[in-house]
Amino acid sequence: MHPRSYRLIFPEPATSFPGSSATPSVLRVRPASPPPKGPDSQAALKLAPRELWIAVHVPQLPLLALQAAASSAPLVILDAADRNPRIIAADANAQAAGVQVGMTLGAAFALVPHLDARPRDAAREVALMRRLAGIAATFTPQVSIEPPDGLLLEIKPSIALFGGLRALCRQLRDACRADPVLAQIQLQPRFTLAPTALAALAAARAGARCFITDPNVLPARLKPLPLATLRWPEEENARLLGMGVRTLGELMRLPRAGFAKRFGVERLADLDRLLGRRADPRRRLVRRERYRGRLDLDHEIEDHERILEALRPLLDELEQFLRTRQRGITALQCRFHHYRAAPTFCTLRLAHPEANAGRLQALLRERLANLVLPEPVRRCELRGGALSERPLTSSPLWPAGERGHAPAGEMPALIEHLRARLGVGAVYGITQVSEHRPERAQAAAEPALVHGSKLPHGVLSSYAPFRRPLWLLHAPQELDSQRGRPRHGGELKLLAGPERIESGWWDGADVQRDYYIASNTHGARFWIYRECNASRRWFLHGIFG
Amino acid sequence: MLETHEKQLEELLAHPSVWRGRSRATVETFPTGFAALDAGLPGGGWPRHGLIEILTPQPGVGELYLLLPALAALSRLTPARWCTWVSPPHEPYAPGLVAHGVALDRMLIVRTHLPLWAQEQALRSGACEVALAWLPRASPRAIRRLQLAAEQGRALGVLYRSKAFASEPSPAMLRVMLEPLADAGRHGARVSLLKSRGGSRDPIDLEWAAAAA
Repeated sequence: MHPRSYRLIFPEPATSFPGSSATPSVLRVRPASPPPKGPDSQAALKLAPRELWIAVHVPQLPLLALQAAASSAPLVILDAADRNPRIIAADANAQAAGVQVGMTLGAAFALVPHLDARPRDAAREVALMRRLAGIAATFTPQVSIEPPDGLLLEIKPSIALFGGLRALCRQLRDACRADPVLAQIQLQPRFTLAPTALAALAAARAGARCFITDPNVLPARLKPLPLATLRWPEEENARLLGMGVRTLGELMRLPRAGFAKRFGVERLADLDRLLGRRADPRRRLVRRERYRGRLDLDHEIEDHERILEALRPLLDELEQFLRTRQRGITALQCRFHHYRAAPTFCTLRLAHPEANAGRLQALLRERLANLVLPEPVRRCELRGGALSERPLTSSPLWPAGERGHAPAGEMPALIEHLRARLGVGAVYGITQVSEHRPERAQAAAEPALVHGSKLPHGVLSSYAPFRRPLWLLHAPQELDSQRGRPRHGGELKLLAGPERIESGWWDGADVQRDYYIASNTHGARFWIYRECNASRRWFLHGIFG
Repeated sequence: MLETHEKQLEELLAHPSVWRGRSRATVETFPTGFAALDAGLPGGGWPRHGLIEILTPQPGVGELYLLLPALAALSRLTPARWCTWVSPPHEPYAPGLVAHGVALDRMLIVRTHLPLWAQEQALRSGACEVALAWLPRASPRAIRRLQLAAEQGRALGVLYRSKAFASEPSPAMLRVMLEPLADAGRHGARVSLLKSRGGSRDPIDLEWAAAAA
């Protein structure tokens, strides 16, 4: 491509931004570009601390995930997927006996004949890391899992919110310790802070104390870390070791051009990312958007109150799940599993997004009151529906209705409360429909949570000069008649009418009626009609309340 | 000394929860929409919160017309809370209600076999301006419960009951009996206050035409 045409597409010449992405990355490893030599030239790199990364490393994750009870025999964990299984974790006993991570199983058995070798539980490891990530996500949206046992958080934008860097780190650590599941397996993660993601990770894996905010001191602080903390392939590590490179400091001293030639451009890019010379964007962890929780009960429960009590931890978890996302749910399903019978489902539908465990429990109580369980419950499962925006409102100072104060959550809460007990169809609003046939001129509708909604366009707002009753019978009721005069609690006296309503021939429910207002001897007023067909029967259709 | 005691006594007696025979207790009220009825009711209108009972010999004698102006006014408040209808005998008819100025989007219909429970929830929730309920039977204890719920939720509870219950004691703060007018030509009803805290003793004749928009 001709350089001129290039300029046409990019009005600003790419050369004016040496670090911009328009420059092909290969340029950086060309021998022509002067490679930085040694730590001194690196200090000249003026990097603003654009990012601050916290790395969370979980040492011995495979051991923790297996939750092995303190076994007397030395325990090692293997990667079952590997054809030639190597040891990926060993407990203190095994390590004391000389077993090292990376050994083959045969070598380990040669050292310790009574070794307890188990395959790793990869699914649980991922679940644990996801749980940790869920806690981390309350501090920053930029969370990514670094498989298998690392977690990265970019926290620069969150510092002010949490009252300073140290306060944030302390809160993060406390939050991880407070989690009941993680505390139960005694998971003790290591935390490090550095201006680049890889540096923080490397320091965390090495178990080093690392709290670096200044990018200029980063290279000096990384120097003593062992080479293995980068987790490069075993074979490359061995080659570097052969060259006498054991620490990151020694690695940084290697000439760039030669390093790129021997180990590839990608390794050099890794090194640049480690030192912040190259951008290191990470894919954000996208979290589950539906809640699912499961609880195996210690023993079977039949009593509704005790089931609700057992559900409470799940509901609390659900609340936490929703709060961290600032969302609510409008549907919640409970599944109760039994020994033999098919699971019982209990679905809660809400008129308004809800995130409060206490309120959900109160609604479930109403819902459960109607539920018949065929057998005692062995396991509860909770599934939340799709998340929806929950408008965050503060609680009002006055109770609803006092001093003209708007009710806050009470109005949808009443609907949910009634529906939980009586069923969804039992609570409804009414709306007008643009239709001449009286029975179709209104319809049941979802109660309007927003006041002041206008009538739909085209609705007949007035039937003047004709009047409409206040009650409509569910179905017209045929009236007795004597000599063509209708009777209902005595003879009816026609007061007004007829009003001819003739409509609906196009949809098969056509009506041809003459409506009258009539009163009986007791003074009650009715809305009655006479069919215009041959039968000329009288029907009662409405009552003027 | 005596004067201060009298003053204190006056203050005590002015408390809304003290009811002295025919004395007019101070209750928060709002107009019924019928001038004649306003004049007869204690405080000059329906109580703003509390429980009232409307007794009718048969449905359709105007029990809804009696409340329509109040319903229209309450449903058009800003911000308005719900007007619930607990187990009404028929479908409330939207075109008829709209013609009388009722805002439909505040109406909430509850169909249930547990009308007492639903009415109590509606009154207690604080989410209702007014809760109408059609109860087949209710013990004085249940009505007392509803009365307390209405005060707690700052709502007006209305119980529609048959005239047959007129002789039963009831803790409702206001009991109104409706009878159709003897003159069939006029569409209205005769209202008599069976129980009120200082209301009119004489029956009041009302015509619905005045309420019809």
